[in-house]
Amino acid sequence: MSKAISRRDFLKVSGAVGAAGLLAACGGSSNTGSTATSTAASSAAASVAGLSSDPVTLTMSWWGGESRHNAYQEAIKAFSAEHSTITVNPTFAAWSGWEDTMSTKFAGGVAEDVCQINWNWLYNYSKSGQTFIDLNSVSDYLDLTQWDEAKLAACNVANAQQCVPVSMTGRIFYWNKTTFDKAGISFPTTLDELMAAGKTFQEKLGDDYYPLHLGAYDRMILMVFYLESKYGKDWADPTTSTLNYDADQIAEGIDFIKSLVDGHVIMSLPTYYGSNGDNAAHQSTEWITGKLAGCFEWDSSATKYADALDEENKAGFTVGEEIKFGDYNGGFSKVSMGLAITKTCEHPAEAATLINFLLNEEKGASIMGSECGIPASKAGLAAAQAAGAVKELVAEANGKVMAFVSNQLDPLFESNDLKATGTGIYQEVFDTLDYDNASGADLVDTLLDGMESVGYSV
Amino acid sequence: MGMKASNAIATFFKYFVLILVGLIMIYPLLWMISATFKDNSEIFAGIGLWIKNPTLEGYKNALNNFGGSINILQAMLNTYSYVLPKVICTVVSSCIAAYGFGRFDFPGRKILFSIMLATLFLPQVVLNVPQFLLYTKFGWVNSPFYLAIWVHCAFATETYFVYQLVQFMRNVPRDLDEAAAIDGCSSFQTLYKVIVPMLMPALVSCALFQFMWSCNDFMGPLLYVQTPAKYPMSLFVKLSMDGDTGFAWNRILALSLISILPQLIVFFCAQDQFVEGISAGAVKG
Amino acid sequence: MKESKAPSLGRTPAQKFFDKWQGLFYLIPWIIGFVVFKAIPFGQSLYYSFTDMDFFNGIHQYGIMNYVDAFTTPKITKALITTFKYSFITVPLKLVFALFIAYILNFKIACVNVFRTVYYIPSILGGSVAIAVLWKAVFRDDGLVNTLIRMLTFGHFQGPSWLSDPGYALWIICFLRIWQFGSAMVLFLAALKGVPADLYEAATIDGAGKWKQFFSITVPMITPIIFYNLVTQICQAFQEFNGPFIITNGGPRGSTTLISILVYNYAFKSNQMGMASALAWIMFVIVCILTIIAFTSQKKWVYYSDER
Repeated sequence: MSKAISRRDFLKVSGAVGAAGLLAACGGSSNTGSTATSTAASSAAASVAGLSSDPVTLTMSWWGGESRHNAYQEAIKAFSAEHSTITVNPTFAAWSGWEDTMSTKFAGGVAEDVCQINWNWLYNYSKSGQTFIDLNSVSDYLDLTQWDEAKLAACNVANAQQCVPVSMTGRIFYWNKTTFDKAGISFPTTLDELMAAGKTFQEKLGDDYYPLHLGAYDRMILMVFYLESKYGKDWADPTTSTLNYDADQIAEGIDFIKSLVDGHVIMSLPTYYGSNGDNAAHQSTEWITGKLAGCFEWDSSATKYADALDEENKAGFTVGEEIKFGDYNGGFSKVSMGLAITKTCEHPAEAATLINFLLNEEKGASIMGSECGIPASKAGLAAAQAAGAVKELVAEANGKVMAFVSNQLDPLFESNDLKATGTGIYQEVFDTLDYDNASGADLVDTLLDGMESVGYSV
Repeated sequence: MGMKASNAIATFFKYFVLILVGLIMIYPLLWMISATFKDNSEIFAGIGLWIKNPTLEGYKNALNNFGGSINILQAMLNTYSYVLPKVICTVVSSCIAAYGFGRFDFPGRKILFSIMLATLFLPQVVLNVPQFLLYTKFGWVNSPFYLAIWVHCAFATETYFVYQLVQFMRNVPRDLDEAAAIDGCSSFQTLYKVIVPMLMPALVSCALFQFMWSCNDFMGPLLYVQTPAKYPMSLFVKLSMDGDTGFAWNRILALSLISILPQLIVFFCAQDQFVEGISAGAVKG
Repeated sequence: MKESKAPSLGRTPAQKFFDKWQGLFYLIPWIIGFVVFKAIPFGQSLYYSFTDMDFFNGIHQYGIMNYVDAFTTPKITKALITTFKYSFITVPLKLVFALFIAYILNFKIACVNVFRTVYYIPSILGGSVAIAVLWKAVFRDDGLVNTLIRMLTFGHFQGPSWLSDPGYALWIICFLRIWQFGSAMVLFLAALKGVPADLYEAATIDGAGKWKQFFSITVPMITPIIFYNLVTQICQAFQEFNGPFIITNGGPRGSTTLISILVYNYAFKSNQMGMASALAWIMFVIVCILTIIAFTSQKKWVYYSDER
């Protein structure tokens, strides 16, 4: 927030207090600065004021862990050294609860000038382009040519380039070699080997050892992964959000997850909750001590799993191979996060310069390294690699994911109502599966109803 | 003899209950203290207090800062820089409002009192969004002085305390006010010369409760403090809680422990004042 | 805050007018605070509760659909029932427990400061992150509670799976609330100190035993504080948010989802302000009714020394 709320924000929000005025206020109709242009590839930057020579203060927000906080802050320091008139005030916190805070701020029109955003926020909070500006209007300051067309297209909502992707990510298996060595087997690369590993773990190491751990949301993603490898089509159409699978196929997918539980490949959810409540898997004793010897995670967030392991297990953390469950390559990649400029930002040109510095320029990108995943910007990636700032673990996993996955993700998949821990439909489905020993056929309706309620056509 | 024996049994029973309950109360805290010295693999391995491989890593890491902008000491300073004004405003404004409700009869008092009570039941969670918009309008969000967190307390908005003081005031006999009035005290002089001294224990308890609750408040700072350098303890602990790298339980617990130390000390020191104090106050007069 | 001295006799009409209204004068700050910080925001939420308000898409529909949905959606009715259960378990237990301990502490006890602090420690921990970690460690399958159960039954009995069994999870949250009885205890202690010692002396001379004294002197004398604690505890229990939010996040399988958690989820997770407001109002009305019942019963059992 720049020092105090500006007069313009003040007026906007005073409008927002009357509920009826709220829509108009969020729509930013009073905002002249940003998005007159709605055509995608406009090259002219006529709609924004140029760089100001007066001192300018920008605000920026992101979520993440400590190392990301440090990287951003260092990069911002470097930015201010280069642009002495621009001051950047950052705001950051951990992920949990972050979306709740940000949505409140978007609603109040008081979000930071530059925001690190989750991909589906574009659809949740700026479906008609009411929250973020079209970055094409600042393309003089932000070099959009550093991104592949396809990656940019994923962030084009309401015919506006609402954010630029920081990195792309997908899910892959990670294994704990220490435990697998104890069991005397190698990492599974096929479904049969995976099932066999479950059995071996139970027989050799005991009932409390499992080769893989999946939380409820992980189960949903693996189920989609499984169906995609079997049937070779996206879970849902990325543009129309029409589901591509029928009830029988989905029931089959759910039963696949059930077979993993029954085959002692993954721990049943009640057992997990019994000793950990709703704690994240990497914080559980079972993971830390190697009893859960595998996970299926985003390539950009696996570090926390590696770091949490105890001394004995730490060295054994290994990136696995994607598993081909059928005739096709399953899985999807998605924009892990993006940087966007809010409509309430008074200095879009400076904000774009900042984004460009962080993602495209050598100095910024080499400081950011792989802290937000493998850079999606070509120049940024080259700079980070040259500086040796790309973590090997992340790079290896990302390489494997991108080489393997072939499907696209639809924006509704990550809707809060579906994926939220504790309250989401995904959790309800997979909880019921384990608690009530239900079958896939029993649960298809719950899943489909939930999906329909967030806007899927099924 | 029989009298003595039964007294001894009663005394034994009293201490037995006190110590047993005390253990239940304090064991989790002791566990937490011992856990700050354990490493990740040992922490949930058992429920005992014994530490196999003691480590000071938790405390060492607790002193880390985040990109130089905030560390635990700064976070504690931040916390108290809004907790203190909050406590003072609450006590003063609640006392004045309670005096108005408790000692005067004027048309509409009953209705106003019911309205005041009704605000007890307003679920804070639904006020969050409208209040957020309101504070934004005032320019209080992310204010360097934490205005959004404490200013409202100056207007007796903490109904619990107003009501608590009204209840305590009812136990102060009205004879005292009348005596003061006969001595020529104005109603305001009566308030600070008669009522306030009598209510001291209750006022201290209000201050203490407000202090404890404000220190632990999480939602308020989450919404209204956005500059990391201004983060209070509750946000700072949370910030450390789901770090992506090097997640260590002992560090989180060490942080939590350090963060409640001032509250423990304050309670230990202040308790006499308000528990013992009341016997010297209201009733003897 | 200045007024003229009020002589006790021979009042002019102006003084009489002032006497009549001066109480209101002390309420000015409160009235301002109430209007600005409570009434306006809450009025807005009442308005939202009759709409399908959503901050990003505005309002498209007006009506009572939220209230209809609230009583027909199983998730919500279940949360209502859970909230009632939670309150009816915790309020009496906490009050009785707090009064009992305060009563014992009120005797001449060695190291009373230490005991009081020890009992207050749980309340200091409040709803902090520490509690979230601690409580899960205490109630996990092989945690403190189950180990104790095993020890006390010599290994014959294995405690339930508190964190994962929907039938038991609510108890975790209840225990937390009862465990944090410190504030109620402190208030009781303060009230107990206020009971004049000569009353007890008189009763002892009359030959009344300790129990009789407790029920015939102590309890009646502290009824205002019992009543205060009762009302505030009911309010707090119905609005309880922190406990389930940080420890169970409403789970497992929604068994600890209290109404306030749903309100939060609707408002900040699924962005349905209309529904969130409607639920908050339902909660508000329920607590109001319970409190009105408490207040009407007040005349029968609460004794105030400023009334004659």
